Amino acid sequence: MSEQVSTHGWQAQDEPHDLHSELLEINMGPQHPATHGVLRLLVHTDGEIVHEVTPVIGYLHRCAEKIAEGCDYRQWMVYTDRFDYLAPMNMNFGYAVAVENMLGVAVPERAEHIRVICAELQRIASHLIALGTFGLDMGAWTPLLYCFREREEILNIFERLSGGRMLYNYFDIGGLRFDAYDGFAEDVLDIINIMEQKIGEYNTLLSYNKIFVERTADVGIIDADDCYAYGCTGPVLRGAGVPFDCRKDDPYSIYDRFEFEIPYGEGEKGTIGDCWDRYMVRVREMYESCRIVRQALDAMPDGPIMAEDLKKLVKPPVGSLYTRTESSKGEIGFHIFSDGGARPFRNKVRSPSFSNLHVLEKVGPGLMISDLVATVGSLDIVLGEIDR
Amino acid sequence: MRKNYTESTTPPEGYDPRREQMLDFKVDEDLALVTRSDDKNFILTTVDELFNWARLSSIWPVTFGLACCAIEMMAASATRYDIDRFGAGAFRATPRQADLMIVSGTVTAKMATRLRRIYDQMPEPKWVVAMGSCAIGGGPYFKYGYHVVKGVDFLVPVDVYIPGCPPRPEVLLDGLMRLQDKIRGRKGKSRVPRWVADYAKKIPYVKR
Amino acid sequence: MEATAIHELLKRRFGDDVLDFVDGHGQGARVAAARVAEIAQVLRDEDELDFESLMCLTGLDWDGYDESGKGKSVGILGYDELGKPETSDRVGEGELGVAYALYSHRHGHKFCLYARVPRQAPEVPSVSRVWPTAAWHEREAFDLVGVRFTGHPDLRRILLDDDWAGHPLRKDYQMPGVWQEVPLAGRSYAESKWGEDDVVLPDPGGDSGGGA
Repeated sequence: MSEQVSTHGWQAQDEPHDLHSELLEINMGPQHPATHGVLRLLVHTDGEIVHEVTPVIGYLHRCAEKIAEGCDYRQWMVYTDRFDYLAPMNMNFGYAVAVENMLGVAVPERAEHIRVICAELQRIASHLIALGTFGLDMGAWTPLLYCFREREEILNIFERLSGGRMLYNYFDIGGLRFDAYDGFAEDVLDIINIMEQKIGEYNTLLSYNKIFVERTADVGIIDADDCYAYGCTGPVLRGAGVPFDCRKDDPYSIYDRFEFEIPYGEGEKGTIGDCWDRYMVRVREMYESCRIVRQALDAMPDGPIMAEDLKKLVKPPVGSLYTRTESSKGEIGFHIFSDGGARPFRNKVRSPSFSNLHVLEKVGPGLMISDLVATVGSLDIVLGEIDR
Repeated sequence: MRKNYTESTTPPEGYDPRREQMLDFKVDEDLALVTRSDDKNFILTTVDELFNWARLSSIWPVTFGLACCAIEMMAASATRYDIDRFGAGAFRATPRQADLMIVSGTVTAKMATRLRRIYDQMPEPKWVVAMGSCAIGGGPYFKYGYHVVKGVDFLVPVDVYIPGCPPRPEVLLDGLMRLQDKIRGRKGKSRVPRWVADYAKKIPYVKR
Repeated sequence: MEATAIHELLKRRFGDDVLDFVDGHGQGARVAAARVAEIAQVLRDEDELDFESLMCLTGLDWDGYDESGKGKSVGILGYDELGKPETSDRVGEGELGVAYALYSHRHGHKFCLYARVPRQAPEVPSVSRVWPTAAWHEREAFDLVGVRFTGHPDLRRILLDDDWAGHPLRKDYQMPGVWQEVPLAGRSYAESKWGEDDVVLPDPGGDSGGGA
């Protein structure tokens, strides 16, 4: 803890020369209602103003990359669920695409369409939690309960599809584990049809609420240079005004067939790259996900859901490949090193929240503590994928 | 600190579980449990029954969500599986005002000391629920998890174990109800019907 | 720009320090570890390369890698069925490595860099001055694999605690049984503390509890 003279507040105006102040070092977390998971923020503050923020992570390090060296490619899909446990379909998708790229196997059309539908529905569900918990951090209880209500509907579909309510293990290398059930298309359409109206509800409740705007606009500004330097992706990068999305600019699966836009921050309520921009990018992405789901449902063919010529024990050829896909938090990448055997030699997971949290060290100083809470909430981090 | 019920696992004569469930405050005198403080068997007075009823009707958990199970815990406190109807909806951020710690998620070596500290900071009477397979026994991270504590009962005494990965919110509520039974002083046995328990005995255990 | 062209450009600049081109998946160049930082600087600043984004930095342990491609690399040690750590006398050998995956937003091309260092002296110059995001990625590589990055502003463990012994992602790492009084070994079913009044599935050795 360093002893520094405060330069803010009353002490700056008329400071008695024998009075000095120190920075206060406090711990936010690892058990804290406002840190999204077991995150510890070591904060040096001068009263309310933060001088230094050091995120300390590792409280949820579950050794998934070591486990990868001990189990098969298909078996490891279970662990990818537990990285970002708010968007497991996206994690499954990323890993499945990564291994399929190494194998060079073509996934059947029906499986591709169902994958896209699941991924986009999962993106909506994940953003719902992001909005809800962000509102909770700002002190708004109601949006959280509304968001959970909609999320339950999506989870119903996933449960009928895969058997699991929250962690699915639904995608498989080369396709899907189970086919869509009868009535899948109707259920999905039901949700998508009400989702647009519900997003309007959230906008009324939260997005344009004066208190919310005052707390989030011009707060926690992360500009595009910081994003490039610190490797921030996803809504953090798009909130900074950069319209980059892996689905459009580095397409995988069948995303190049669908028409959708990339929402990005324009500084509507404040500066480009503030918390409100990131929040609004997520809200608008939910609209775009609805569009994609509609198009995918219209185009969904019948057919097999699993690639035919794939063995049970998947053995990618020797080499390494880094594949990235767009998850709801950002760009999830799997750098897989294979030695030609049934087990990966090394599976490295590049998680979006890891880099998104890194930028907090740059952006934190100068904020007030409640603004720090707002910024952490707007980054939408999940400790499961930071610590893996 | 766990009570050993070896002597009293056979029900006394005339014991009828259906009769037990109908009479709310009737307590089995053989197996009374007020707090986990002593090994002695108590005979409860009406005042103790009243206190037990008050405690079980307002179990306030401390926010201790670690990983994926925390989201199901949040879903249990949301509107569909409302945990507040059990009186347990007031999640306290500080352990000093809480009496239940739902360990939801994987406990890692780094987090273990903090978990124990939070548990120590809770005042008596306190209970611990191990939610999810990671808290019960390490979960899917058992074999190669060098940083994972293989079960939270290495660190704190656990009252109820709730299996699942993650357990559904309804299962969490069932675990909560079982904890309420335990607080009430009812027999700690399961509330499943006899035919379910008999069927469970017949399921073969496959040793690999 | 094609990956082979990028490789040619680097080879013209750095000569022998840029080794062979890695084809197939993950196209990139294998480079000598000592010049990684300068190569990184060129990759970021050169106009036609413009790799302003480091996507991923991986540390890995090439111990026991099966060159023949049959997948017979050495296996890792874990906990056995009873929860006790497996032990072995094998000492790790081979090199440690770092892999960088780069992307350019402007041009849209990708490139990978691979570097290997000897196990006894695993020093790689840090690229955190070139791409600030590497600071945390390098800390993680140091934490899990043990590669030391010279010139790093703050090289300490990030995921594991500061006084953790060993680097877990090495192939000869033996699981710890206990760490600072926190028990990390598991328990067998027989040793676990199930009480007799709980409903459990039948144990091979004895009777089950349960019953209403």
